[in-house]
Amino acid sequence: MTAVDLAGRVPARPRHVVRTALAVAGLVAFTVATCLPAIGGVELDLGSIARYWRNGADKLAELAQPNLAFAPRTVAPMLETLQMALVGAAVAALLSVPLTLWAARATNPSTPARVAVRTVVNVVRAVPDLVYATVLVAMVGVGALPGVLTLVLFDVGIVVKLVSEAIDSSDHGYMEAGRAAGGTQTQINRVTALPQVAPLFANQWLYVLELNVRISAILGIVGAGGIGRLLDERRAFYAYGDVSVVILEILVVVVVIEVLSNLLRRRLV
Amino acid sequence: MSAATVTSPRVDPPVTRTALPPRPSRLWPTLWALVVGAVVLAAAAGLSITWDELPALPGKVAGYLRLMFADPSWDKLPRALLETWRSISMAWTGAILCVVASLPLGLLAARGVGPAWLRLGLRACFAVLRAVPEVVLALVLLTVTGLTPLTGALALGIAGIGTQARWVYEAVESVQEGASQAVRAAGGTAAHVTRWAIWPAISPTVLSFALYRFEINIRTSAVLGLVGAGGIGSMLSNYTNFRQWDTVGMLLIVVVAATMLMDTVSGAIRRRIMEGARVRDVGRGA
Repeated sequence: MTAVDLAGRVPARPRHVVRTALAVAGLVAFTVATCLPAIGGVELDLGSIARYWRNGADKLAELAQPNLAFAPRTVAPMLETLQMALVGAAVAALLSVPLTLWAARATNPSTPARVAVRTVVNVVRAVPDLVYATVLVAMVGVGALPGVLTLVLFDVGIVVKLVSEAIDSSDHGYMEAGRAAGGTQTQINRVTALPQVAPLFANQWLYVLELNVRISAILGIVGAGGIGRLLDERRAFYAYGDVSVVILEILVVVVVIEVLSNLLRRRLV
Repeated sequence: MSAATVTSPRVDPPVTRTALPPRPSRLWPTLWALVVGAVVLAAAAGLSITWDELPALPGKVAGYLRLMFADPSWDKLPRALLETWRSISMAWTGAILCVVASLPLGLLAARGVGPAWLRLGLRACFAVLRAVPEVVLALVLLTVTGLTPLTGALALGIAGIGTQARWVYEAVESVQEGASQAVRAAGGTAAHVTRWAIWPAISPTVLSFALYRFEINIRTSAVLGLVGAGGIGSMLSNYTNFRQWDTVGMLLIVVVAATMLMDTVSGAIRRRIMEGARVRDVGRGA
């Protein structure tokens, strides 16, 4: 086959000039609109960065000198953060099993019930974590309780969505066996679906535990307990050396939890 | 013997029993479950929660929910929509900043593109950035750009780089070697390889991740509002502090509606990008 021959066979390059132009124009228009302060967009005030960058640099310089003498005082709040993360993940894990089986097509053939659960979970997922915390702190008072409730709501949304979508996107031949043996839907779910999706659940539970450590570190900023409260308090006193100890501690704990959960995950899956 | 088989469905039970493999030991899973359960209970006991108040909690929350959603006050709706747009702007500008910064950084951090020392250094930076909460970053940036949406956008842009760049280098590393080798065999430089082998393979994934970043930012921008970066989060935090529950209810409805709307639009575009890419691949392969 010669080169000329081949060149004749290569199909014409697809061209979508108009479509590409429209897409780019749309993107540019949206971007410009988001940068117009007149209609509520972000004011790209680069002048303020040029004028005040020293403030930020000073803060970073202060943060770079952690006051290690402060470290012992961070232990108790950090422990509370970890406890909140664990309890939140555990409660969410318990709640997520029935809800997930309820929200997946293979384990719940009834459309109205499935749509109902999915709608509720989607609404729950659309509210950001700290927003829950703010509203819950106002409802039940300052402390660890609103923090744990926030984490539970947040985790249930994630686990139910991810696991039920994973169930929906795979085949379930093994469930036929249960149906052929005359089992009810509950029995089939219990005996076939649950052991099959258990690794998926374990994976997501570990993932939300990691997320929880991250989130519960800052929940205290709105009064929901944990080390975030200390962070906010020291910042209010402009004690940046203390703040940096807290941040470093959060970094270390987050990385340690990530490594541990990766090890566990490799064993489980 | 044959009569017995007909009347009873059980044939030689002892023989089949012995043919079954032994049940796997449940000892270790049970032990692990007990340990995890004990740790969780210990953690729960250690929390400073007054447990006897817990039974009253559902009633209390239901009461507040009634205050919020029975008759939400729609007077402040125009302002809420403006603040929502401000949050969306913050999320979008932050996403653009993040994607523009993380694309070259992620490429350099990929195996086979940049030198090893640069790769390891960049990956360490990404790991640190991933661990810093956006809110903490925003608190530092506040001192430079003040209580403005720009602070929020910058915080979102910088905080997202850690994860976004990781997705980029993971995408680059999952690209098959063939195209890169072909470009190199034809005498292409590293820049040619990036442009003609790597970029065509990763662009749909990267664009899809860019939109996903926007979706994440929509949620986080509401969080940044709580520390004063403006947008719907600031408004929500204010009215929660004023205990104006009917307005809080309206704001929550706006937050949920806006988030779900943005998720739907962005999700549809993402699916179009990924599926469009797949169709084109098939066309070329055939």
